[in-house]
Amino acid sequence: MSKKNKIYWFEGVTEKGVKSLLTDENSKYRWLRSQRNRRILVFVMSLGFVLVAMGSYWPTLKTNLNLSDGTAVVIYSVSAIFVIFAVLLGYLLLRISVRGIADAPNELLDERQIKIRDTSFRYAYYALGYLIVALLILMIYAPELKLFEPEGNDGSYLIISMLFACSSLPSMVLAWRERDI
Amino acid sequence: MLFLMSRNPEEPVYNRIEEARISLGLTRQDLADKVGVHYQTIGYLEREEYSPSLVLAIRIAKSLNQEVSELFSLTPLKKGK
Repeated sequence: MSKKNKIYWFEGVTEKGVKSLLTDENSKYRWLRSQRNRRILVFVMSLGFVLVAMGSYWPTLKTNLNLSDGTAVVIYSVSAIFVIFAVLLGYLLLRISVRGIADAPNELLDERQIKIRDTSFRYAYYALGYLIVALLILMIYAPELKLFEPEGNDGSYLIISMLFACSSLPSMVLAWRERDI
Repeated sequence: MLFLMSRNPEEPVYNRIEEARISLGLTRQDLADKVGVHYQTIGYLEREEYSPSLVLAIRIAKSLNQEVSELFSLTPLKKGK
């Protein structure tokens, strides 16, 4: 067996990383792999995406809660860092919970794993499509939400949230659907 | 979100893998290593929740010293025969 750790640039993973996730070397994370815990993680991640997407509304807390400028900046910054860190941590835990199958290349997976990975990507693509249609409908029929407004809200939080969603959706679908991972 | 929970219904392939594996004193991991799949895939096969490709079916049959037709069937198999 080659000792060289092959890097899969397209998938953004290494051979050793994938193999370590596929085996039970990470036994301390075994608790994450029950379907119940995986589904809880998917729910928490979805909540995180919504919170990130609503980042543009966080500064309005200042006026809503009558906070001083300094306090508002501190609360806003700490909350932003916490939510983004929590989503990143959630993403890592999600990958561990599905053994990194969603990001693994064909040659490191068996035929069943390839099949469930590909199915997950298909459903993730549908989900993303529905999400985009829902956002477009909101933009058209609920303009008061100001999802994309040049003044004050450039939609960057929504884009960041969508980027998180794009990279996590296949793993989220896998985590939700499969009985044993 | 209902569509995320639905599973693709496919024609099940019944098998005697578990019986043959146990009779040879092999663990799921042993058989998985022999045929080059993850040990959970063996579990899925034994529970008849996954239908193997022809290549995998032949590999499993060879590893368990059986004919493919003895090990797999499209109709329910009587275990222990």
